[in-house]
Amino acid sequence: MTITKQRFVTINKYALWAAIIVYLYGVFGTKIIQPGIFFALAAGFFNLLHQKYFIARPRLAAHIWLLPAVIGAFTYPVLMEKQPSGQNTFYFMLTLIISLIPYLQLIFGKTEEQPPKKERLKVISFRIFTQITVFMLYSVLTAYSFIYGSNVALFFWGMFHVVTVAILPFLFGRVLCGWLCPNATLQDGLFKNMTYPRPIPKLPQAIEEQSHSTAMYLSGEVDKNAPYFPFTLLISWFPMFFCETMFDLTGDLWYPIYFMYGLYIGSLLLPWRKMCTHFCWLSSYRGIAAHGSLWRIRYNKSKCKQCKVCQAEKACPFYIDICEQDNEMPATCCLCFSCMEACPFEGVITFKRSPEEKARIKAIGGKAA
Amino acid sequence: MAQNYTTPLARAARIMEIIIPCYMFGKAWGIADARTVDLFRAMFPPFLIDIAEFFKRIMQTDNANIQRFFSTMSGAIVGFVVVALLALVMHFVLRDRKYLDSLRFTSVSLIPIAVLNGTLSHAIKTLIENMGTQTADALYASTVSSSRGNILIDGTFYLTAMWMMGRRTGVSRGRRYGVIGVGIGFMVIYMALGLMISPGEWQALLPKLQQALAHH
Repeated sequence: MTITKQRFVTINKYALWAAIIVYLYGVFGTKIIQPGIFFALAAGFFNLLHQKYFIARPRLAAHIWLLPAVIGAFTYPVLMEKQPSGQNTFYFMLTLIISLIPYLQLIFGKTEEQPPKKERLKVISFRIFTQITVFMLYSVLTAYSFIYGSNVALFFWGMFHVVTVAILPFLFGRVLCGWLCPNATLQDGLFKNMTYPRPIPKLPQAIEEQSHSTAMYLSGEVDKNAPYFPFTLLISWFPMFFCETMFDLTGDLWYPIYFMYGLYIGSLLLPWRKMCTHFCWLSSYRGIAAHGSLWRIRYNKSKCKQCKVCQAEKACPFYIDICEQDNEMPATCCLCFSCMEACPFEGVITFKRSPEEKARIKAIGGKAA
Repeated sequence: MAQNYTTPLARAARIMEIIIPCYMFGKAWGIADARTVDLFRAMFPPFLIDIAEFFKRIMQTDNANIQRFFSTMSGAIVGFVVVALLALVMHFVLRDRKYLDSLRFTSVSLIPIAVLNGTLSHAIKTLIENMGTQTADALYASTVSSSRGNILIDGTFYLTAMWMMGRRTGVSRGRRYGVIGVGIGFMVIYMALGLMISPGEWQALLPKLQQALAHH
C-alpha cells in the first residue's frame, strides 16, 4: 500500500478517534479503562502532530503505534475500574486492535514522500511533547476521578488554574493556548486534519478582523487606543463567570468537564483554532494579563523580506499578521513558534531582538526602546 | 492597521478590558458571609469590606444564586471605584492618552493584584474548611502566613506588568519609572491599610470564629 500524505493522516486520525471513543465510553459509560488506551491517545497525537516528519518514514510511525499494545500487555492484569469485572481480555483486545490496525497499515506501507527540507525546531518538538504530556495527564486524572469517585481531577484543574492564571501569563503571555490547553492539542492533532464542511465555515467580518486589529507597537506608531484583546474573546468569559458565581461550581467535578467539553464541541463547529482566537472562555481572562508579559517572540522587522510565508492564514494558528507587527508578537500570540519554523530566513523571528532591530527602533525614535 | 482600532468591536473590547480586571480585582471583597466577614475585614482593608457589605445590603434577594451574584458584584463595584481612583493618579503620570485609556492601562496591569486578592480570599476559605482539623497556630501558618510569598510574587508581577505595558504602549522610560512609582505607592498603601491577618488580629479573631462556626 502506498502511504500518501492523506492516507497517513487518515490511518492515524481514525485510530485516534477509536481511542477517544473507547476512552469516553470507558470514563462515562462502563467506568472501565485499559491503561494502554492513554498511550493510544498519545501515539495518535504524536504521529499527527509530527506528520510532516513521519509521512516520509511510515515504518517509524508504525512503531509508535506499538507503544499502546506493549503498555496494554504489561498492564493486562490492572484495569482502571472500581470493582474487578474480569473483562481484562476484552479490553486488552480492544487496545490491541486500536494499535495494531494502524501499525500493520504503516509497517507494510511504502511512500514516495520526501522528508521536509527544514528540520523541526527543537522548541516545537518540546512544545508537542508538553502538549501530549499535559493531555495524557488530563485524560488519566479525569478517568481516575470518574471511575473511582475521587476529586483528583480537581487538583489538576486547581494546579492548571494556578499556573495559567497566576504565573505564566505574566512571564510568557498566552502560552496556555499553545502549549497546555487540552483543547488546543485536540485541535492541532485531530480537528485540523478533519475535512468535513464546518457548520460555521466563516465568521462575520467584524469578528474575523479582530485578530488583525489587536496589534500593539513597541516602536514607530504607537496607537494607545488599540485594544489588547478581541472583544468576542473577552465577552466569552461571561458564561463561565456567571455559572461559576451563581451556581457556586468551584469544587464541582463536572464543572471543568462542562467548560472543556463545551470548547471541544465549539471547536468542531468552526474552522481550526477559530474557537481559540475568538470565543474561548478559558483564555479570555488569562489572555488580557498577557499584555504585561515579560517576554514575547521577537519579530525583527529590519531583517524581514516580506515574503508573507508566515501570513495569518498560512502559518499562524491565531491569524496574526506577523508582517504587520513591530518588534514582537502581540498579546494574542500563543507562542507556538509555527511562524519561526515557517520563516525561510534566519534571524527574522527569534527569541532575542537583533542588534539591527534595536538600531532601527532607535533610528525611528521609538521611545520604548 | 490603525483604522481597525476604531471598529465597533474594538471599542467594545476596550470597555471589556476595563470591566473584567476590575471585577476580578474587587470580587473578593464582596464574597464574605456572616461566618467569614470578620476574617475578610482582617485580611483586607476593613473599609473596603464594609463598603461592599453596604452594597450587599442594598441588593438583597431570597434566591441564593442571585444573592451570590450580587455579593460578587458588590465587591466588583468597590473594585471599580478603587481602580478608577488609581487611574486618576496614573493618568496624571502617563499624560499621553485619554483618561479611559489610562483606566484601561491601570485595570489590565492590576490583574496580578486581582490574582492576589483571589488567593487571599481562597486562604480564608481553606482556613474555615480546616478549622478543627489543625491547631490554631498551625492553621494560621499553613493558610495566612504562607500567603506572604504570594504578596511578594504578585507584587513583582504587578510592577513588571506595568513596566512592560508601558513599554508596549510607547510610554517613555522616564514616565515608566513614574508608573512604577504609582504601583509601589498603591501596594504600600494597600498593605498599610490592613492587608493580611496579623498574629494579633488572629488571636482576637479566633474565639469569635470558633463561636460563629459552632452556631452554623
